[in-house]
Amino acid sequence: MRDAPTRGMVGLLAVAVFPALVVAAHGSSERGQAPSDRDASAYQAVVEQYCVTCHNERLRTGNLALDGARLSRVADDADVWEKVLRKLETQTMPPPRRPRPDATTYTEFASWLEMKLDAAAAVDPNPGRPTLHRLNRFEYANAIRDLLALEIDSEALLPGDDMAYGFDNNADILTVAPGQLERYISAARKVSRLAIGDPSIEADVARYPLSSLLVQNERMSEELPFGSRGGTAISHHFPLDGEYVIRIQLQQNSGRRESQEIDVRIDGARVALLPVGRWPEGHENAERAETAGSSLTVRVPARAGTRMVSVSFAEHTMVTEGVGPRHLPVWTFATGRGFVERMALESVEIEGPYNPDSLGPGPDGESEKASRRRIFVCSPSRQPDQRLGRTEEACATEILTTLARRAFRRPVASGDIDIEVLLDFFRAGRAEGGFDRGIQRALENILVDPEFLFRLERDPPDVPPTTAYALSDIELASRLSFFLWSSGPDDELLEVAAEGRLSDPLVWEQQVRRLLADTRASSLVTSFAAQWLHLRRMRSVTPDVNAFPAFDDNLRDALVRETELFVESQIQGDRSVVDLLTADYTFVNERLARHYRIPRVYGSRFRRVTLDDPRRRGLLGHGSILTVTSLATRTSPVVRGKWVLENIFGTPPPPPPPDVPALPESNRDTTPQSLRERLELHRASPVCASCHVRMDPLGFGLQNFDAVGQWRERGDAGTVIDSSGVLPDGTAFDGPVELRQVLLTRRSEFVRTVTEKLLTYALGRGIEYYDRPAIRAIVRDAERDDYRWSSLILAVTRSMPFQMRRSEP
Amino acid sequence: MIITKKAIPRRMVLRGLGASVALPLLDGMVPALTALGRTAAAAKPRWGVVYVPHGAVMNHWTPQQQGSGFEFSRILQPLAAFRDRLTVLSGLDHAPAAQLPGDPAGGHGRITGAFLTGVHAKPTEGADFEAGQSVDQIAARQLGQETELASLEIGIGLPDFGGACDAGFSCAYISTLCWSTPTTPLPMESRPRAVFERLFGDGGSTDPAARRERMERDRSILDAVTEKVARLKTDLGARDVSKLDDYLSAVRDVERRIRRAEADVDRELPLVERPQGGIPASFEEHVKLMFDLQVVAYQADLTRVISFMMTPELTAQTYPELGVPDPHHALSHHENNPESLEKLTKIQTFHAGLFSYYLDRLRATPDGEGSLLDQVMILYGSGMSNSNLHNIQKLPIVLAGGGAGQLRGNQHIQYPDETPLTNLYLTLLSKMGVPTERVGDSTGELAHLTDL
Repeated sequence: MRDAPTRGMVGLLAVAVFPALVVAAHGSSERGQAPSDRDASAYQAVVEQYCVTCHNERLRTGNLALDGARLSRVADDADVWEKVLRKLETQTMPPPRRPRPDATTYTEFASWLEMKLDAAAAVDPNPGRPTLHRLNRFEYANAIRDLLALEIDSEALLPGDDMAYGFDNNADILTVAPGQLERYISAARKVSRLAIGDPSIEADVARYPLSSLLVQNERMSEELPFGSRGGTAISHHFPLDGEYVIRIQLQQNSGRRESQEIDVRIDGARVALLPVGRWPEGHENAERAETAGSSLTVRVPARAGTRMVSVSFAEHTMVTEGVGPRHLPVWTFATGRGFVERMALESVEIEGPYNPDSLGPGPDGESEKASRRRIFVCSPSRQPDQRLGRTEEACATEILTTLARRAFRRPVASGDIDIEVLLDFFRAGRAEGGFDRGIQRALENILVDPEFLFRLERDPPDVPPTTAYALSDIELASRLSFFLWSSGPDDELLEVAAEGRLSDPLVWEQQVRRLLADTRASSLVTSFAAQWLHLRRMRSVTPDVNAFPAFDDNLRDALVRETELFVESQIQGDRSVVDLLTADYTFVNERLARHYRIPRVYGSRFRRVTLDDPRRRGLLGHGSILTVTSLATRTSPVVRGKWVLENIFGTPPPPPPPDVPALPESNRDTTPQSLRERLELHRASPVCASCHVRMDPLGFGLQNFDAVGQWRERGDAGTVIDSSGVLPDGTAFDGPVELRQVLLTRRSEFVRTVTEKLLTYALGRGIEYYDRPAIRAIVRDAERDDYRWSSLILAVTRSMPFQMRRSEP
Repeated sequence: MIITKKAIPRRMVLRGLGASVALPLLDGMVPALTALGRTAAAAKPRWGVVYVPHGAVMNHWTPQQQGSGFEFSRILQPLAAFRDRLTVLSGLDHAPAAQLPGDPAGGHGRITGAFLTGVHAKPTEGADFEAGQSVDQIAARQLGQETELASLEIGIGLPDFGGACDAGFSCAYISTLCWSTPTTPLPMESRPRAVFERLFGDGGSTDPAARRERMERDRSILDAVTEKVARLKTDLGARDVSKLDDYLSAVRDVERRIRRAEADVDRELPLVERPQGGIPASFEEHVKLMFDLQVVAYQADLTRVISFMMTPELTAQTYPELGVPDPHHALSHHENNPESLEKLTKIQTFHAGLFSYYLDRLRATPDGEGSLLDQVMILYGSGMSNSNLHNIQKLPIVLAGGGAGQLRGNQHIQYPDETPLTNLYLTLLSKMGVPTERVGDSTGELAHLTDL
């Protein structure tokens, strides 16, 4: 194990170990000697000639002054020069109609400046210093899952987290407020009791409402029986073996008069078939069926654990899913509550447990709870032979040491003071309610321990202030697992770290690849990509029901699922990140295929389809992204253009001044005006134009996709859609296919943007000017492997800011 | 009065209590405890804020006449039934929310950050966010000494922008109004069940012995946490230590609460139902449930300071049920389009209607000699006037409640230009017996609130 004294200053250690750093530092220093002062003064003259007129100490246009900064000492003003470099690369300054240097000067100055900045960073690296990191709600839930084999509803247990720099794992904003600790204490009590299967858990109700915008006219999910209609499948945690009340509420709609049977299943096995509605006279169900009340109740036995509860309508007609088209429902919105006219569920409630232990022993002779198996690594009452004679205390020590190691994400010795404290809790609980109660009390304490709730990184004692140093292997293990899994390290990663082997580049790469291949890496999709691409906003978008009557929650869910499956297939398939923009396939179910007008896709199951239509290819053809970048009533080329600038090019435009109004809706009394004509109006103002000249054309390229991502030829006012655009540099395109070609010519900007987003997410802090050299090194490193996901992710984990930290000033 | 835990039909229990603790929107019969038994006759002022975003269509907000004979404007019409307990304050300004040279454009972060603090929010997206101690927290320092919770912060629909909250301003500014120190924003809770458990605890039991035992255990956990933090702090950096100190101060807060609760552990309890896990599907239901919880919190005297953000600035909430499918924020940049102004007016009238639900519940709840409405001082309003321009002058502000005999009601008062909003805060603090020298940019107490 690499211990504190040898961790020392780096420059030396990390550079020696990690190829990416070697390349960056070595390459830079070699090139760093070449440019002479002559270059510096020549380029200084360029700055004087073209920039200083506006960017000087007196005017500070754009809050930038260049007259004091000297190119002969770029390190002194690296923040300023990084800004200049960005403008040189994109050739966006000086502004239009101002004198500007020729193209060669732009590129040569840019590469010279980049080299100087990289060289300066190699001499004096600044890895930054993320604040103490509290686990966010998502990470907390994952940590509980991995620690206790227990799926929890963290949204019910803990408050949500704010976002900063686009992500909710930003350490700066993960603060602790007084009310929060109460929530943690309360969550710790509930989680620990669930985990050990505390027999004294009181009955509670969980309510699962179905959105009124969910059309329940088809099979809703792969978890529901074949041939079923409507309803829902719920992954519910049953805390104990016992009896549970399942209460089903029907929607108040005209479908209540149907004759139907509700099929209730737990883990696929039917536990009830309830006739509801009006049955014909003389039918055996006519007497039994519930007609009056809207609430149906069934009491069923269930074994402890997380189980799939499904509630759906049993269809009596023959349905051969996946063979032929289902005919579309006639939608009305008379009730104003959605498009329902068939009998539909409003909510499902599960209440319990009642009469715990009434079921008798399970197949294994005891409760089958996965979380108990995870926790009770030994048992004082039924010792296997080789453990005979061990006391309860020894077993408790073993259990708690294992738990503490996983929870605190570091090696824990049995004599550790933390274990002593936990044993005190164990003894108190043991005296009061037996062995299990003792473990539960200690576990409860672990779950509010600051070492569990926070990720700690400590400066080694021998490092001078404000100095870059390499993180310890144990700290790196957590950085890695929280990056790729949004959770703590598993036993193997922790073990490798404890043995000090993570500094071996081969071991590091092997661990990164192992974590990436694990199912837990899906958090890169559900957390990283969902936030980067603004997918999470799909939950709250509300397209106008009059303009888009077909938009229901089935479509909402399908749109999100499409993008998730697509990004997952890209990462798991280790494609080049550039393929995100170009891939010729996607994932659809019947609902989504209808939306995209892709023929011959039937049923609720998602499947991969090849996109023969090039217009739909890549992320920019995804309905999810096209919807979150639209307004409720119409598309917004501005918002879409801004999304592209921000998430593809990494150059978000500054916000508009406060007194700039949004576009008025087109006035129906006068001549129809196309959106383009209306937008041209406010681009006439020079203040607006400076940004909109970059945003709007990009958005117009996507105008054929309406506000919920459906293809259209004509706009709201009946005008033919014009999806052409001209970028500030004169590049012209027409439609999404040509727009994509334009984006591909600027693929390096896209890769850099993905890198920035990944690094922001991996570090849990905002990107600063001093990270730019590292970002360039990551991109260079990944370029050799065609920017494959694994190469980019590996390069991020090997980068200086990931491997190092800056000591306190 | 004794309440058994037997399955008494809900309505019977509530009627039997003779007190209006029925929570029409709360479901799921799980009893929890509160303190009703010791309703002392002494008047207890309570402080409240109900915030609505994106200003108001002022010509539909401001009543035409001043003084006590004023006619309710269109937006305020739903509040007409509470005339005697209502004051409309016109002309108050919110200067600290102004955009300073060099500030990023985003006005909403500045406006929310300054609303209760009277301090210009520091423009930053990083960890160095800074505003000021908010007026509710100044009040809570004193009013909170006698209650289990010093204050309660709740809100609905906290922003989900899929990115930065407001350009150049940390999400901390948008997602709360309340700051216990200039650098400690207090998050607002949006889940009814979490609010309920914060008020009444998470145990299903009303048994004092069980409650006492739970507190004992909480205390031993808190002790262990305190010791652990002390061990960890020795080799951490200053910023990290300050974050752990926040954690510790949270520990002390819970300890204080336990001490208070222990002192009253044998109090008699009404039966209150615990809301179920999820957030209600409809905005209206959600708001009303949050108002119900505020009524219960005041009634059981668990806290005397509540801040409620009905919806946040920048919200994309739509109101199809009002015929307004447009997202609220986009609509608020109305460009004086008559159609947009009409839609905004509908939203604002609807919000006022929800507020009237709250006032109605307060009036129906006995407290001391009268009703809760007689005791409270609740500020209702927004941090801007004309949302199209993010105007921060002449804000839409209403004051509701009798303030334990301190507020007169039935008035529309027009204040001179440039009267700081914080002068109102200063006045209210003084009326609640929390004399304060200054709040943000305040210059002195407001006239006319009691003595017209």
